[in-house]
Amino acid sequence: MTGLRESVISALTPYVGEIVADTCVRATALSLGKTADDLDINDLAALEVNARRLLGPVAPREAIDGLIAEIERSLT
Amino acid sequence: MTAQTNINKQAPRRPAIISTRTMRITAALFTLLTVFHILNTLSLADKLAATASDAVYVFGILLQPLCAAIAVWVASKLGWRESVGRQWLLIAAGMTAFAIGDVVWAVLELGMGLDPYPSIADFFYPMEYFLFLTAMILAIRSYSGLVKTRKPVLLGGAVAVVGVAVVYLALLKPFIFPAGADELSVLGKLVSTFYPLGDIVFMLAPAVALALVIRQLGAARFAWPWWIIVVGALVFALTDSYYAYADWSGSGLTAAMDLGWIATHMLFAIAALVARDVYRSVGRT
Repeated sequence: MTGLRESVISALTPYVGEIVADTCVRATALSLGKTADDLDINDLAALEVNARRLLGPVAPREAIDGLIAEIERSLT
Repeated sequence: MTAQTNINKQAPRRPAIISTRTMRITAALFTLLTVFHILNTLSLADKLAATASDAVYVFGILLQPLCAAIAVWVASKLGWRESVGRQWLLIAAGMTAFAIGDVVWAVLELGMGLDPYPSIADFFYPMEYFLFLTAMILAIRSYSGLVKTRKPVLLGGAVAVVGVAVVYLALLKPFIFPAGADELSVLGKLVSTFYPLGDIVFMLAPAVALALVIRQLGAARFAWPWWIIVVGALVFALTDSYYAYADWSGSGLTAAMDLGWIATHMLFAIAALVARDVYRSVGRT
Protein backbone atom coordinates (compact mmCIF):
# COMPACT_ATOMS: atom_id res chain seq x y z
CA MET A 1 0.00 0.00 0.00
CA THR A 2 1.36 3.44 -0.91
CA GLY A 3 1.78 6.04 1.83
CA LEU A 4 -0.49 9.02 2.36
CA ARG A 5 2.08 11.38 0.89
CA GLU A 6 2.37 9.48 -2.40
CA SER A 7 -1.41 9.04 -2.67
CA VAL A 8 -2.11 12.70 -2.09
CA ILE A 9 0.57 13.87 -4.51
CA SER A 10 -0.55 11.47 -7.20
CA ALA A 11 -4.22 12.49 -6.72
CA LEU A 12 -3.62 16.25 -6.67
CA THR A 13 -0.79 16.66 -9.19
CA PRO A 14 -2.90 16.45 -12.38
CA TYR A 15 -5.04 19.33 -11.11
CA VAL A 16 -2.71 21.64 -9.20
CA GLY A 17 0.79 20.43 -10.04
CA GLU A 18 3.38 18.66 -7.92
CA ILE A 19 4.60 21.74 -6.04
CA VAL A 20 1.13 22.64 -4.79
CA ALA A 21 0.30 19.01 -3.98
CA ASP A 22 3.51 18.72 -1.99
CA THR A 23 2.75 21.98 -0.19
CA CYS A 24 -0.60 20.54 0.97
CA VAL A 25 1.16 17.46 2.34
CA ARG A 26 3.95 19.42 4.03
CA ALA A 27 1.48 21.89 5.58
CA THR A 28 -0.44 18.97 7.06
CA ALA A 29 2.70 17.35 8.39
CA LEU A 30 3.82 20.65 9.91
CA SER A 31 0.45 21.18 11.60
CA LEU A 32 0.73 17.73 13.18
CA GLY A 33 4.40 18.01 14.14
CA LYS A 34 5.32 15.16 11.81
CA THR A 35 7.41 14.76 8.68
CA ALA A 36 5.61 14.33 5.35
CA ASP A 37 6.78 10.71 5.15
CA ASP A 38 5.35 9.93 8.59
CA LEU A 39 1.80 10.85 7.61
CA ASP A 40 -0.65 7.94 7.58
CA ILE A 41 -4.32 7.28 6.97
CA ASN A 42 -5.20 8.53 10.48
CA ASP A 43 -4.04 11.99 9.40
CA LEU A 44 -6.59 12.20 6.63
CA ALA A 45 -8.86 14.58 8.57
CA ALA A 46 -6.00 17.03 9.12
CA LEU A 47 -5.04 16.72 5.48
CA GLU A 48 -8.60 17.54 4.43
CA VAL A 49 -8.62 20.66 6.60
CA ASN A 50 -5.31 21.84 5.14
CA ALA A 51 -6.26 21.00 1.56
CA ARG A 52 -9.53 22.96 1.90
CA ARG A 53 -7.71 25.93 3.42
CA LEU A 54 -4.95 26.01 0.82
CA LEU A 55 -6.95 25.11 -2.28
CA GLY A 56 -10.11 27.04 -1.32
CA PRO A 57 -8.96 30.23 -3.09
CA VAL A 58 -7.97 28.45 -6.33
CA ALA A 59 -10.95 26.20 -7.00
CA PRO A 60 -14.68 26.06 -6.27
CA ARG A 61 -15.89 24.10 -3.23
CA GLU A 62 -17.34 21.31 -5.38
CA ALA A 63 -14.00 20.77 -7.10
CA ILE A 64 -12.23 20.59 -3.74
CA ASP A 65 -14.82 18.08 -2.51
CA GLY A 66 -13.96 16.03 -5.60
CA LEU A 67 -10.23 16.28 -4.88
CA ILE A 68 -10.74 15.12 -1.29
CA ALA A 69 -12.88 12.22 -2.52
CA GLU A 70 -10.18 11.35 -5.03
CA ILE A 71 -7.55 11.26 -2.26
CA GLU A 72 -9.81 9.03 -0.15
CA ARG A 73 -10.40 6.72 -3.12
CA SER A 74 -6.67 6.46 -3.76
CA LEU A 75 -6.17 5.21 -0.19
CA THR A 76 -8.76 2.44 -0.28
CA MET B 1 -9.37 -14.96 -29.06
CA THR B 2 -12.05 -13.22 -31.08
CA ALA B 3 -12.08 -9.62 -32.15
CA GLN B 4 -15.08 -9.06 -29.88
CA THR B 5 -13.10 -10.23 -26.85
CA ASN B 6 -10.31 -7.81 -27.76
CA ILE B 7 -12.77 -4.93 -27.88
CA ASN B 8 -14.21 -5.91 -24.50
CA LYS B 9 -10.73 -5.99 -22.97
CA GLN B 10 -9.97 -2.40 -23.98
CA ALA B 11 -9.78 0.10 -21.14
CA PRO B 12 -12.91 2.24 -20.69
CA ARG B 13 -12.67 5.51 -22.56
CA ARG B 14 -11.78 8.44 -20.31
CA PRO B 15 -14.21 11.33 -20.37
CA ALA B 16 -12.70 14.39 -22.07
CA ILE B 17 -11.57 17.19 -19.75
CA ILE B 18 -12.61 19.89 -22.20
CA SER B 19 -16.30 19.45 -22.95
CA THR B 20 -17.82 19.15 -26.40
CA ARG B 21 -19.79 22.32 -25.68
CA THR B 22 -16.58 24.29 -25.05
CA MET B 23 -15.06 22.87 -28.25
CA ARG B 24 -18.13 23.85 -30.26
CA ILE B 25 -18.35 27.34 -28.81
CA THR B 26 -14.61 27.85 -29.43
CA ALA B 27 -14.95 26.69 -33.05
CA ALA B 28 -17.98 28.94 -33.56
CA LEU B 29 -16.20 31.98 -32.08
CA PHE B 30 -13.12 31.53 -34.24
CA THR B 31 -15.26 30.99 -37.32
CA LEU B 32 -17.03 34.29 -36.59
CA LEU B 33 -13.65 35.97 -36.07
CA THR B 34 -12.36 34.64 -39.40
CA VAL B 35 -15.51 35.74 -41.24
CA PHE B 36 -15.22 39.18 -39.65
CA HIS B 37 -11.57 39.47 -40.67
CA ILE B 38 -12.29 38.55 -44.30
CA LEU B 39 -15.20 41.00 -44.52
CA ASN B 40 -13.31 43.72 -42.66
CA THR B 41 -10.36 43.35 -45.02
CA LEU B 42 -12.69 43.83 -47.98
CA SER B 43 -14.35 46.76 -46.24
CA LEU B 44 -11.07 48.57 -45.51
CA ALA B 45 -9.99 47.99 -49.12
CA ASP B 46 -13.20 49.76 -50.27
CA LYS B 47 -14.42 46.61 -51.96
CA LEU B 48 -17.79 46.68 -50.20
CA ALA B 49 -20.71 49.06 -50.56
CA ALA B 50 -21.16 51.60 -47.75
CA THR B 51 -24.12 49.74 -46.26
CA ALA B 52 -22.24 46.44 -46.33
CA SER B 53 -19.22 48.09 -44.67
CA ASP B 54 -21.47 49.44 -41.92
CA ALA B 55 -22.92 45.96 -41.45
CA VAL B 56 -19.40 44.52 -41.10
CA TYR B 57 -18.60 47.21 -38.53
CA VAL B 58 -21.71 46.35 -36.51
CA PHE B 59 -20.93 42.63 -36.85
CA GLY B 60 -17.47 43.17 -35.34
CA ILE B 61 -18.90 45.29 -32.52
CA LEU B 62 -21.53 42.66 -31.66
CA LEU B 63 -18.87 40.00 -31.15
CA GLN B 64 -17.78 41.82 -27.99
CA PRO B 65 -21.12 41.56 -26.13
CA LEU B 66 -21.32 37.94 -27.31
CA CYS B 67 -17.97 37.11 -25.66
CA ALA B 68 -18.91 39.09 -22.55
CA ALA B 69 -22.23 37.23 -22.29
CA ILE B 70 -20.45 33.86 -22.41
CA ALA B 71 -18.01 34.91 -19.67
CA VAL B 72 -20.77 36.39 -17.49
CA TRP B 73 -22.83 33.21 -17.89
CA VAL B 74 -19.95 30.95 -16.79
CA ALA B 75 -18.67 33.24 -14.02
CA SER B 76 -22.13 33.75 -12.53
CA LYS B 77 -22.45 29.97 -12.16
CA LEU B 78 -19.23 29.94 -10.12
CA GLY B 79 -20.70 32.77 -8.05
CA TRP B 80 -19.35 35.69 -6.03
CA ARG B 81 -19.17 33.61 -2.84
CA GLU B 82 -16.39 31.44 -4.25
CA SER B 83 -12.97 33.10 -4.28
CA VAL B 84 -12.31 31.78 -7.77
CA GLY B 85 -15.81 32.87 -8.81
CA ARG B 86 -14.98 36.47 -7.85
CA GLN B 87 -11.87 36.33 -10.04
CA TRP B 88 -13.89 35.22 -13.06
CA LEU B 89 -16.75 37.61 -12.36
CA LEU B 90 -14.30 40.53 -12.34
CA ILE B 91 -12.87 39.43 -15.68
CA ALA B 92 -16.41 39.06 -17.07
CA ALA B 93 -17.39 42.49 -15.71
CA GLY B 94 -14.34 44.00 -17.42
CA MET B 95 -15.32 42.38 -20.71
CA THR B 96 -18.85 43.74 -20.28
CA ALA B 97 -17.52 47.26 -19.67
CA PHE B 98 -15.40 47.04 -22.82
CA ALA B 99 -18.37 45.72 -24.82
CA ILE B 100 -20.53 48.62 -23.60
CA GLY B 101 -17.75 51.00 -24.61
CA ASP B 102 -17.66 49.46 -28.09
CA VAL B 103 -21.44 49.68 -28.51
CA VAL B 104 -21.46 53.32 -27.33
CA TRP B 105 -18.58 54.06 -29.74
CA ALA B 106 -20.52 52.50 -32.65
CA VAL B 107 -23.73 54.38 -31.78
CA LEU B 108 -21.86 57.69 -31.65
CA GLU B 109 -19.86 57.09 -34.83
CA LEU B 110 -22.28 55.16 -36.98
CA GLY B 111 -25.66 56.11 -35.58
CA MET B 112 -25.10 59.76 -34.73
CA GLY B 113 -22.23 60.64 -37.08
CA LEU B 114 -20.13 62.05 -34.22
CA ASP B 115 -16.40 61.73 -33.58
CA PRO B 116 -16.33 59.21 -30.73
CA TYR B 117 -12.80 60.02 -29.55
CA PRO B 118 -12.79 61.05 -26.80
CA SER B 119 -16.32 60.37 -25.62
CA ILE B 120 -18.43 58.64 -23.00
CA ALA B 121 -17.09 55.35 -24.45
CA ASP B 122 -13.79 56.25 -22.79
CA PHE B 123 -15.52 55.97 -19.45
CA PHE B 124 -16.30 52.29 -20.12
CA TYR B 125 -13.10 51.08 -21.84
CA PRO B 126 -10.74 51.86 -18.93
CA MET B 127 -13.05 50.06 -16.52
CA GLU B 128 -11.74 46.82 -17.99
CA TYR B 129 -8.21 47.78 -16.95
CA PHE B 130 -9.18 48.19 -13.29
CA LEU B 131 -11.42 45.12 -13.17
CA PHE B 132 -8.84 42.97 -14.95
CA LEU B 133 -6.03 44.14 -12.65
CA THR B 134 -8.16 43.40 -9.58
CA ALA B 135 -8.93 39.91 -10.93
CA MET B 136 -5.22 39.29 -11.55
CA ILE B 137 -4.30 40.46 -8.05
CA LEU B 138 -6.89 38.08 -6.57
CA ALA B 139 -5.74 35.22 -8.81
CA ILE B 140 -2.07 35.71 -7.89
CA ARG B 141 -2.90 36.10 -4.19
CA SER B 142 -4.93 32.89 -4.27
CA TYR B 143 -1.70 31.01 -5.02
CA SER B 144 0.36 32.93 -2.45
CA GLY B 145 0.31 30.13 0.14
CA LEU B 146 1.07 27.49 -2.46
CA VAL B 147 3.83 28.70 -4.78
CA LYS B 148 6.28 31.61 -4.94
CA THR B 149 4.47 34.84 -5.84
CA ARG B 150 6.84 37.57 -4.65
CA LYS B 151 9.38 37.16 -7.45
CA PRO B 152 6.72 36.97 -10.21
CA VAL B 153 5.10 40.16 -8.89
CA LEU B 154 8.47 41.94 -8.80
CA LEU B 155 9.24 40.78 -12.34
CA GLY B 156 5.78 41.94 -13.45
CA GLY B 157 6.58 45.31 -11.88
CA ALA B 158 9.88 45.42 -13.75
CA VAL B 159 8.05 44.71 -17.01
CA ALA B 160 5.71 47.60 -16.20
CA VAL B 161 8.63 50.01 -15.65
CA VAL B 162 10.40 48.97 -18.87
CA GLY B 163 7.12 48.98 -20.82
CA VAL B 164 6.19 52.47 -19.60
CA ALA B 165 9.65 53.70 -20.63
CA VAL B 166 9.20 52.19 -24.11
CA VAL B 167 5.73 53.75 -24.47
CA TYR B 168 7.10 57.10 -23.35
CA LEU B 169 10.01 57.04 -25.78
CA ALA B 170 8.16 55.55 -28.77
CA LEU B 171 4.75 57.19 -28.45
CA LEU B 172 4.20 59.81 -25.77
CA LYS B 173 7.33 61.93 -26.21
CA PRO B 174 7.47 62.06 -30.04
CA PHE B 175 3.74 62.16 -30.85
CA ILE B 176 1.18 62.65 -28.08
CA PHE B 177 2.78 65.21 -25.76
CA PRO B 178 3.76 67.61 -28.59
CA ALA B 179 0.28 67.41 -30.22
CA GLY B 180 -1.30 70.85 -30.47
CA ALA B 181 -4.78 71.85 -29.30
CA ASP B 182 -6.04 71.72 -32.91
CA GLU B 183 -5.00 68.07 -33.10
CA LEU B 184 -6.00 66.85 -29.63
CA SER B 185 -8.10 68.37 -26.84
CA VAL B 186 -6.92 68.24 -23.22
CA LEU B 187 -9.27 65.31 -22.58
CA GLY B 188 -8.08 63.63 -25.78
CA LYS B 189 -4.47 64.02 -24.68
CA LEU B 190 -5.29 62.57 -21.29
CA VAL B 191 -7.08 59.58 -22.80
CA SER B 192 -4.38 59.06 -25.46
CA THR B 193 -1.74 59.00 -22.73
CA PHE B 194 -3.73 56.76 -20.42
CA TYR B 195 -4.52 53.95 -22.88
CA PRO B 196 -0.99 52.91 -23.91
CA LEU B 197 0.17 53.22 -20.29
CA GLY B 198 -2.86 51.23 -19.14
CA ASP B 199 -2.04 48.48 -21.63
CA ILE B 200 1.33 48.04 -19.96
CA VAL B 201 0.45 48.61 -16.30
CA PHE B 202 -3.00 47.04 -16.13
CA MET B 203 -2.78 44.27 -18.73
CA LEU B 204 0.78 43.31 -19.71
CA ALA B 205 2.47 43.49 -16.29
CA PRO B 206 -0.18 41.52 -14.36
CA ALA B 207 -0.34 38.97 -17.18
CA VAL B 208 3.43 38.45 -16.95
CA ALA B 209 3.22 38.11 -13.15
CA LEU B 210 0.35 35.61 -13.42
CA ALA B 211 2.23 33.62 -16.08
CA LEU B 212 5.25 33.34 -13.76
CA VAL B 213 3.00 32.18 -10.92
CA ILE B 214 1.09 29.52 -12.84
CA ARG B 215 4.27 28.36 -14.56
CA GLN B 216 5.07 26.73 -11.22
CA LEU B 217 2.00 24.51 -11.60
CA GLY B 218 3.52 22.80 -14.64
CA ALA B 219 0.90 21.19 -16.86
CA ALA B 220 -1.72 21.15 -14.08
CA ARG B 221 -5.30 21.53 -15.24
CA PHE B 222 -6.21 24.41 -12.92
CA ALA B 223 -3.55 26.48 -14.70
CA TRP B 224 -5.02 25.96 -18.18
CA PRO B 225 -7.65 28.75 -18.09
CA TRP B 226 -5.11 31.19 -16.66
CA TRP B 227 -2.70 30.49 -19.52
CA ILE B 228 -5.47 31.45 -21.95
CA ILE B 229 -6.09 34.63 -19.94
CA VAL B 230 -2.36 35.43 -20.11
CA VAL B 231 -2.32 35.01 -23.91
CA GLY B 232 -5.46 37.14 -24.22
CA ALA B 233 -3.99 39.93 -22.09
CA LEU B 234 -0.78 39.90 -24.13
CA VAL B 235 -2.78 40.11 -27.37
CA PHE B 236 -4.76 43.04 -25.92
CA ALA B 237 -1.68 44.94 -24.71
CA LEU B 238 0.17 44.46 -28.00
CA THR B 239 -2.86 45.31 -30.16
CA ASP B 240 -3.84 48.41 -28.23
CA SER B 241 -0.30 49.77 -27.90
CA TYR B 242 0.60 49.06 -31.50
CA TYR B 243 -2.69 50.56 -32.70
CA ALA B 244 -1.88 53.80 -30.87
CA TYR B 245 1.64 53.81 -32.31
CA ALA B 246 0.47 53.03 -35.86
CA ASP B 247 -2.22 55.70 -35.67
CA TRP B 248 0.11 58.44 -34.41
CA SER B 249 3.19 57.51 -36.43
CA GLY B 250 1.17 57.16 -39.62
CA SER B 251 2.53 53.69 -40.29
CA GLY B 252 -0.94 52.60 -41.26
CA LEU B 253 -3.87 50.78 -39.68
CA THR B 254 -4.77 47.33 -40.96
CA ALA B 255 -7.70 44.95 -40.68
CA ALA B 256 -5.52 42.63 -38.59
CA MET B 257 -5.41 45.23 -35.82
CA ASP B 258 -9.18 45.14 -35.46
CA LEU B 259 -8.86 41.42 -34.73
CA GLY B 260 -6.81 41.99 -31.57
CA TRP B 261 -9.53 43.32 -29.27
CA ILE B 262 -12.06 40.73 -30.43
CA ALA B 263 -9.53 37.88 -30.22
CA THR B 264 -8.65 38.96 -26.68
CA HIS B 265 -12.22 38.76 -25.47
CA MET B 266 -12.83 35.52 -27.33
CA LEU B 267 -9.83 34.07 -25.51
CA PHE B 268 -11.18 35.36 -22.19
CA ALA B 269 -14.59 33.78 -22.90
CA ILE B 270 -12.93 30.49 -23.87
CA ALA B 271 -10.78 30.66 -20.71
CA ALA B 272 -13.95 30.91 -18.60
CA LEU B 273 -15.41 27.87 -20.37
CA VAL B 274 -12.16 25.93 -19.89
CA ALA B 275 -12.13 26.91 -16.20
CA ARG B 276 -15.62 25.51 -15.78
CA ASP B 277 -14.57 22.29 -17.54
CA VAL B 278 -11.42 21.71 -15.49
CA TYR B 279 -13.24 22.30 -12.21
CA ARG B 280 -15.92 19.85 -13.29
CA SER B 281 -13.32 17.32 -14.40
CA VAL B 282 -12.23 16.61 -10.82
CA GLY B 283 -12.92 13.01 -9.98
CA ARG B 284 -14.04 12.12 -13.52
CA THR B 285 -10.66 11.00 -14.88
